[in-house]
Amino acid sequence: MHPEEINRIHRGYLRNERKRTIYVILTQLIIFVVFLLLWEWLARIGVINVLLFSYPSKVWALFWQQLADGSILPHIGMTVIETIIGFILGTLLGTLIAIVIWWSPFLSRVLDPYLVVANSMPKVALGPLLIVGLGPGLLSIIAMACAISVIITTITIYTSFKEVNENYIKVVRTLGGNKWQIFMLVILPATIPSIVSTLKVNVGLSWVGVIVGEFLVSKQGLGYLIIYGFQVFNFTLVMVSVAIIAVVATLMYQGVAILERKLTNQFK
Amino acid sequence: MTQLSSSPAKIELCSVTHLYVTSTRAFMAIKGIDLRVEEGEFICLVGPSGCGKTTILSLIAGLERPTAGKVLIENQEVVGTSPRVGYMLQQDYLFNWRSIEENIFLGLDIQGIRNQETEEYALHLLEEMELADFRKSYPHQLSGGMRQRVALVRTLSCQPEILLLDEPFSALDYQTKLKLEDLIVATLRRHKKTAILVTHDLSEAIAMGDRLFILARNPGRINREIIIPERIREPLPFHARNQEGFTDLFNQVWKEMEGLTDASRGD
Repeated sequence: MHPEEINRIHRGYLRNERKRTIYVILTQLIIFVVFLLLWEWLARIGVINVLLFSYPSKVWALFWQQLADGSILPHIGMTVIETIIGFILGTLLGTLIAIVIWWSPFLSRVLDPYLVVANSMPKVALGPLLIVGLGPGLLSIIAMACAISVIITTITIYTSFKEVNENYIKVVRTLGGNKWQIFMLVILPATIPSIVSTLKVNVGLSWVGVIVGEFLVSKQGLGYLIIYGFQVFNFTLVMVSVAIIAVVATLMYQGVAILERKLTNQFK
Repeated sequence: MTQLSSSPAKIELCSVTHLYVTSTRAFMAIKGIDLRVEEGEFICLVGPSGCGKTTILSLIAGLERPTAGKVLIENQEVVGTSPRVGYMLQQDYLFNWRSIEENIFLGLDIQGIRNQETEEYALHLLEEMELADFRKSYPHQLSGGMRQRVALVRTLSCQPEILLLDEPFSALDYQTKLKLEDLIVATLRRHKKTAILVTHDLSEAIAMGDRLFILARNPGRINREIIIPERIREPLPFHARNQEGFTDLFNQVWKEMEGLTDASRGD
């Protein structure tokens, strides 16, 4: 077989792959556009209740209007900040607890049942308690976002600490390393990939915490807009908020995914 | 061998017994082991699996304290890990997130002795292993034999006087293994290290060692000592295999081992 022929077959394969990718993206776009058009059409001919479900052009118009007069930006900013602080705190705190219980097997056995209970418990149920304890404001919302991710982070990271191959630890021990060196030289670098991947999960969890927190207390934020729109029966506003949340949450998730790829490149 | 104990042995085990205790049982890994290793000697431990070979290495390395008896290095009792003892595992266990040079500096970092001089010594060892070009590479870019050579450099850069080798060739292909055997024996002789090798491979043990101990199991104990004759001991392992008397010695050790497995089957 000639090299040119091998090349030709490879080029053909690549062309087919590209074609398939284009079809996939095209189909995805079509589904989205058809959904919007169907929604708009059904609303206009009166099949679905516009008062409850609004329709795309109205949602879009409200979004532009709010963007133009700048009234939506503080809400977006507030929610994004709360989410970022929430998931970073949740991840840091969870990692810290994982380090402590890795360090002390005694503490790990003592805390085990408490972790199980805390993990099974739906954290949003703590909402009222957080508000009473921390006051109706920013602090409670961040605490909610943090509470929702901290326990699962602890459990995931502690498990990955324990899964590090014993022999790497043996290498450090035979070279004379103490427990702190074992942690810094083996355990932590070996588990960076799993710590970063919990970051990805925690972004999603923190959004839940922040939105629920804003439902309960707050004068600002996308969660507040949803509840406000619901109370004044402005469902167009609710739709605008939901759409913004979908877009911003996706962007944030992708951001962490890029960070993950960068950080874990050398661990392959 | 028959020296008076006026000059202390490099390594000495005095009736060492070790138990592993778990919630289900207490298991006697080795019982009443007496062993004396002189400076610069190359000792091989062979025996059926479960005869406590690795336990003996762990005790000398100070990873564990014996349940009874004493482990001495130059007449000092071993109470923990020490920079004087280097340990090589069955696989390289290089750290994927560190470059090759950062891997060989690991021991220097841990012992807090990393400076220009020690770094240069480590890089010099890397050169001896013909791996100088790879100092900036990462472990996954190297083959199994190259990685095990890096692991040897990592162990030797801390300049241990004693080297414990726990089946360091078992994960390698035959050709690589033969080359590495020669390299290790030559390196250890040049740097005048004392070494203990644990292996399943009888011909490897005869080719590399000065003395050979055959262990029995349940509980682990020394069954027999075999002194390798000068003519096999002198050349590097690859040529030692071609020496007259090698095959006879191999057969003798083989029969000993057969006897042990038969005996334990009779239990």
